[in-house]
Amino acid sequence: MNLGKFFAVRGFSVAVAILGCLALDYAAQTYLQDYIVRLVFLAGIYITLAVSLNLINGITGQFSIGHAAFYMVGAYTGGTLTKFFYDASPLGAVAWLIAMILAGAALAGVAGLLVGLPSLRLRGDYLAIVTLGFGEIIRIIVINQPELGGSSGLGFAPKVQGLWLVWLLAVICVAVCRNLLKTSHGLAFLAVREDEVAAQAMGINLTKTKVTAFVIGAAFAGAAGALLAMNEGYINPDLFKMDVSFLILTMVVLGGAGSITGSVLAALTLFAIPELPRLLKIDVSLAYLIGLTAGAIGFVSLLRHHQQRYHGPKAKGRMITVATVVGVPLAGLGLGWLLHTFTYLSDQTYELNNLRYVILAVTLIVVMLLRPEGVMGHHEFSWKWVQKVLTGRKPVAEESIS
Amino acid sequence: MDALFYTLVGIDLNWSSLPQQLVNGLVVGSIYALIALGYTMVYGVLRLINFAHGEVFMLGAYTALLSSWVMGFSPDAIRKFYESEAAKKLADPSYVERSIPADPFNLVIMILLAMAVCAVIGAVIEFFAYRPMRNQSRTAALITAIGVSLLLQYAGSLFLPASPPPSVAMEVNPYQTNVSVTLVPAPKEIRDKFDDSVSALEAAKESGADAETIGDLERKKNDLEGQVAATATAITMTQGKIVMLLTVLVLMAALRFLVLKTPAGRSMRAASHDFDSASLMGINVNRVVTFTFMLGSALAGAGAMMLVTFEGTSMQPFFGMAPGVKAFVAAVLGGIGNIPGAVLGGILMGLAETLVTWLGFSNYKDAVAFVILFIVLMFRPGGLLGSSKVEKV
Repeated sequence: MNLGKFFAVRGFSVAVAILGCLALDYAAQTYLQDYIVRLVFLAGIYITLAVSLNLINGITGQFSIGHAAFYMVGAYTGGTLTKFFYDASPLGAVAWLIAMILAGAALAGVAGLLVGLPSLRLRGDYLAIVTLGFGEIIRIIVINQPELGGSSGLGFAPKVQGLWLVWLLAVICVAVCRNLLKTSHGLAFLAVREDEVAAQAMGINLTKTKVTAFVIGAAFAGAAGALLAMNEGYINPDLFKMDVSFLILTMVVLGGAGSITGSVLAALTLFAIPELPRLLKIDVSLAYLIGLTAGAIGFVSLLRHHQQRYHGPKAKGRMITVATVVGVPLAGLGLGWLLHTFTYLSDQTYELNNLRYVILAVTLIVVMLLRPEGVMGHHEFSWKWVQKVLTGRKPVAEESIS
Repeated sequence: MDALFYTLVGIDLNWSSLPQQLVNGLVVGSIYALIALGYTMVYGVLRLINFAHGEVFMLGAYTALLSSWVMGFSPDAIRKFYESEAAKKLADPSYVERSIPADPFNLVIMILLAMAVCAVIGAVIEFFAYRPMRNQSRTAALITAIGVSLLLQYAGSLFLPASPPPSVAMEVNPYQTNVSVTLVPAPKEIRDKFDDSVSALEAAKESGADAETIGDLERKKNDLEGQVAATATAITMTQGKIVMLLTVLVLMAALRFLVLKTPAGRSMRAASHDFDSASLMGINVNRVVTFTFMLGSALAGAGAMMLVTFEGTSMQPFFGMAPGVKAFVAAVLGGIGNIPGAVLGGILMGLAETLVTWLGFSNYKDAVAFVILFIVLMFRPGGLLGSSKVEKV
């Protein structure tokens, strides 16, 4: 595909994106506390991960559940190269960071090629277990390499934060996926998802399409991994366990497989989960967590009402909608505050670490039971859609990709 | 060949320990096979990867442990249990009084309890989480399964004791003595040396030599005894492992009978062949699905009980994940949906793991399952015994 064309046409947007990210970086470094800067950083990383997995799972319909493997390849590429070659290189810190992002993306892309090739023969669940296994194999190999730090991890210097690069990467990832869908290549991805045999009959090259999806998705995950490694200055294999793959997959599916907007929203909701043990000392974190999960459930019920409204009286439906949107997150915040106070008094924070995953799991099951296609389904964000939700007017023509 | 292998990989093969490793592999593999049966039966009927199966296995292990506590064994182990934080909530001093000696009958009660509790848990999971998803996309069902798995793990970590002493369940086990079979005895010269050293020691003791010489001779004797043990090809295992293998065989025979010869098994096979047609033919598919879940979960419960009782595996709320994933790989390896395939896959998986340990790559033990899976799927995408169907439009 012609990446250059995307950016040539949209030179203005690219400039705005870069300036916006630089401004975000500056604002975050100046006005925000360190742990919040870290959260902003992680939000960018997880948006990239979720959207890149969405390209493989949601848009091309290949069932990959080992995305942490590519993330890990990128992180270890960045970490190892920095440890052994940074001192000898003439590059400055930021230039080196950019080089590492490219290197991580390249190597993860190669890994994506390795996993993508078997996907030509394997379907569905078989492919899923192969991707899962690939992640485990990579992790076990790294654990057994003393040069890579083994299970105790790899430390290196310098640490470079590059918050603006993280968000630029997220923006590029979203832009590439979104724009791809407007090209014939992107339509080929969708066609493969809907029906492989029919797509092949229409002259689509299955091999090329599937492998391209895997390579692009893996490369973005690898770039995110390199950024994470350079930000932390220390990585270990436990950061890339199966749980992380499941978290990314959860984001994609909760948001709605195939919907980029959905992935971004879900990533913004769930990215802080692995960080909560460190953040639990902060008073608002549990309230934040419960409020957000309640908010997610509220959002789902909003969409349910939106769907069912055409069958009942409109005014009543809208009242329920508004009440849900306002009431549920508020109730959640209140509940979170109560729980937090209670547990603060009884000093049981150690149990809260696990409680957060219980809440995540319950949210996951409830959302799947109420709305199996994910919060956004196949829909994307558009101003028309906002108008539709707010006014409750029937849309003139359905505008969605699928 | 040894020399070739040594030059290639730099590892000296210890052929005399191979039979022992193969038997160990068989024991581990039989447990993998039991768990894999649950995956494969559910997949056969519903085309769903039941990710929560590993957690059902974990709950089976805890059931076995708790029932052993309730039946009351080993005051020492019970004191350890009462010292743990979680146990204080269940504290009831009367348990300490009821100390019962290890008895096979108690094992039967434990395994039946574990199977029954797991069967109920399996049916409950199916009813609340999977039944509403039956007409949805398979991705959604799989995500629900992952959600249930996470829920059971983390809710378990809130309510279950985090790392109970593994010895507690072992206390119940009356079959702890070792059984040894010597296949090829040690080389004659080593045995002769050993016999010589024994007679020299006895002679020294009789003649009343000083303590130093006797100590030297004893050390030499022990050294040679170790050499005899190391060079002889023998299989040593606890009686418990033999009981375990026999139980697995009985359970598999019972399953085979159930699936092939009973009406319930026939409806299961029908549903797995074609779910919709089976329901049109008057088969109550809901009941079949519940039955399948109960059967698979009960087998996992039996495997879990035997693993903690006879092997003394230590447990924690997250320990179902690893055997669960491996057993799933075993099911895929044998051809998912295929019952003999799951048994074959499980045993191959166990053998492969111990063989890798035998070759000296024990660090890579957990990766070998997936490597074998890749190789098999490259050449037989449907697994070893499965048939890969061509998708039609």
